Amino acid sequence: MTKRRMFLRMITASLLRRRSRMLIALLSIGIGATILAGLVTIYVDVPRQMGAQFRSYGANMLLLPKDGETLNGESLAEALKAIPEDALVGAAPYRYVRLDMTTRQQSFPAAGTDFDEITKTSPYFSVEGEYPGESGQVLVGKEIADTVGVKPGSTMKLTYQPSGSASDKTPEESRVPGAALSGKAEGFGGGIVYVSAELDEEMKIASLSVDASTQTPEYGGQVPENEAFLGQFIGKALPLTLNEDVDALTGATVTSSAVVDALNKATEAAVSAQPKTQNFTVTGILTTGGEEEGYVFLSLRDMEAMTGEDKLDVAELSVSAGVDQLEAYAEAITENSGSVRARLVKRVARSEASVLEKLTALVFLVTLVVLLLTMICVSTTMMAVVSERRREIGLRKALGASDGAIRAEFLGEGLFLGLLGGVMGAVLGFAFAQAVSVNVFGSSITFQPLLLPAAILVSMAIAAASCLLPIKRAVAIDPAIVLKGE
Amino acid sequence: MAVKAESIAKRYFRKTGGANYFYAVQPVSLEIAAGEIAVLTGRSGSGKTTLLHMLSGLLKPTEGKVRIDETDLYSLDDRALSRLRSERIGVVPQGRSAIDTLTVLENILLPAKLYGRPLPVEGARQWMERLGIAPLGDARPAELSGGELRRMAIVRALAQSPDLLFADEPTGDLDDENTRLVLSAFQAYAHEQKKAVFVVTHENDALQYADTVYQMDGGRILDR
Ligand SMILES: Nc1ncnc2c1ncn2[C@@H]1O[C@H](COP(=O)(O)OP(=O)(O)OP(=O)(O)O)[C@@H](O)[C@H]1O
Ligand SMILES: [Mg+2]
Repeated sequence: MTKRRMFLRMITASLLRRRSRMLIALLSIGIGATILAGLVTIYVDVPRQMGAQFRSYGANMLLLPKDGETLNGESLAEALKAIPEDALVGAAPYRYVRLDMTTRQQSFPAAGTDFDEITKTSPYFSVEGEYPGESGQVLVGKEIADTVGVKPGSTMKLTYQPSGSASDKTPEESRVPGAALSGKAEGFGGGIVYVSAELDEEMKIASLSVDASTQTPEYGGQVPENEAFLGQFIGKALPLTLNEDVDALTGATVTSSAVVDALNKATEAAVSAQPKTQNFTVTGILTTGGEEEGYVFLSLRDMEAMTGEDKLDVAELSVSAGVDQLEAYAEAITENSGSVRARLVKRVARSEASVLEKLTALVFLVTLVVLLLTMICVSTTMMAVVSERRREIGLRKALGASDGAIRAEFLGEGLFLGLLGGVMGAVLGFAFAQAVSVNVFGSSITFQPLLLPAAILVSMAIAAASCLLPIKRAVAIDPAIVLKGE
Repeated sequence: MAVKAESIAKRYFRKTGGANYFYAVQPVSLEIAAGEIAVLTGRSGSGKTTLLHMLSGLLKPTEGKVRIDETDLYSLDDRALSRLRSERIGVVPQGRSAIDTLTVLENILLPAKLYGRPLPVEGARQWMERLGIAPLGDARPAELSGGELRRMAIVRALAQSPDLLFADEPTGDLDDENTRLVLSAFQAYAHEQKKAVFVVTHENDALQYADTVYQMDGGRILDR
């Protein structure tokens, strides 16, 4: 028989004999450590997650045109210079119009945008299929896809009906020959010159009348009566160039030019008022859980081709910055740009901060409660162990074991439990945090190597603290009383 | 090594008659020298165990001092006192005193084990042989008879070769033959090894092995 074997037997025997109790103590430390390690891991990781998360639930800054100005690619790029490149997560431009799908008698909102930027500003967009990669492709919101029954690969014939052209007329009707053109332009001395013309089958001018009553009677005022001047226009296709297609009336150059201008403008308006129809291939169906599901998305280039306008309604920005910094950026943009103003999406930026604050308080509270429960459980268990071993402890003391030795033995047992529980907690806690992160935030977290020693240290400290009272009890056992026997 | 009690007394709180407390042991002075075996007898409840515990460092007297050689026993801190008891004092308690998770031999070697001293395996073997429990080394205390357990406790006290041996009714569970065996072993231990031995007993036989006999009644040592 060796010394070591005997000592081992003593410990294992006493542990085994009380294995159910030890298991309970170990389990409570382990569970406590698991919850704590999990919470702390999530807590450390969450601000990062939350930031990304909140930004992904819509932009935190909007760029809009100032009153009377237009926002376009150029002015947007200019405005974005106010934000450092590494802070700008993404900037998605949007141009909203209504498009018709005449084959289904349906009409729905459409957005021209930049799909690369959308993936940055709205990473939560979930696309069945793919984002459009080239011209002639569209991304269709789930709601629309369900209504009109399209799938990735389907073709959609979409029509843009410019505002101003009668929406109740079909595109064919508005192309009927004989339609009248009417327009106006500034003439001599700022007076307005009005024209109206009729077009023939070939869209050439059939008749023309001019109202120049604001012009000097001896000069420009002569234009409406001058058959020779007006006659030049008949049978010509628009638009016209003065001094090439038609000559100016001598002494009334400005008024002549105004007539040509007015006709050209009226033509342009008429042409742009023509509905545009194009076939698109559906590449993907968009699910967001939000109103985006009621939209059709196409590239800005396609949108420009449909509407004939280089114009944006809004740009949604996702900027990685605190509220104060965001405000500074917004101010700078609004001040420096002639046509663009910036607005913060304040609700999101603010709630990000307050949610984090509440989360901190919650984690703190739960941590406290878990610590307390763990300590109560371990302490109770150890207390029971001490009273079970009362006689044995008394005997050992009678045989010469000092209070220090008794203390060391129980503390050792507690620390050992803490060590096991800590390892268990670090591993399970990380798994727990991972599960929460994946399920709630949809992203995984990396294992912090510091978590293991931290969890072990904390749970050893908790276990040791829980043993204080039981140890006090054990030390207080009077060998003289125990020795008097049963 | 000798043990010397200087008017030690133990007072407990218990309502008796008019007072709030009573003396389990009245102030008493006595000395047991090395090489001497002293026997204490007395009726049940007379304070024998209380006195023995005070002398052996297990129970602090409420009055007086216990000296071992020149050391004031209860002025030592817990560590030093525990160590001293473990190294120099052997106690055979009145009650059952086996740790059930250990074998008989492990129980016997435990005091040395607690301090990592060399295990007195040879001494243990010899005493077990002498007291007739040699075959029981690997048995579990739970399997043993009362008398066997008692002898185990005696061997445990003796195996450490303590300078002071205290035995509280060591022959209570023993037959006459074993009683004689134990008592003569104690006497031999005192005389031959020059140790101080203090035995509490009801056994009239014990008196003949004693160098000094004390009798107690109501916490008081009677003059003899
Ligand atoms: N811890 C204690 N608290 C209060 N009273 C005690 C305590 N220990 C012993 N006593 C009392 O002191 C008296 C002496 O007890 P002690 O155990 O010394 O008797 P004893 O002579 O050994 O008796 P026995 O022969 O039955 O073992 C008894 O009346 C007992 O009730
Ligand atoms: Mg007694």
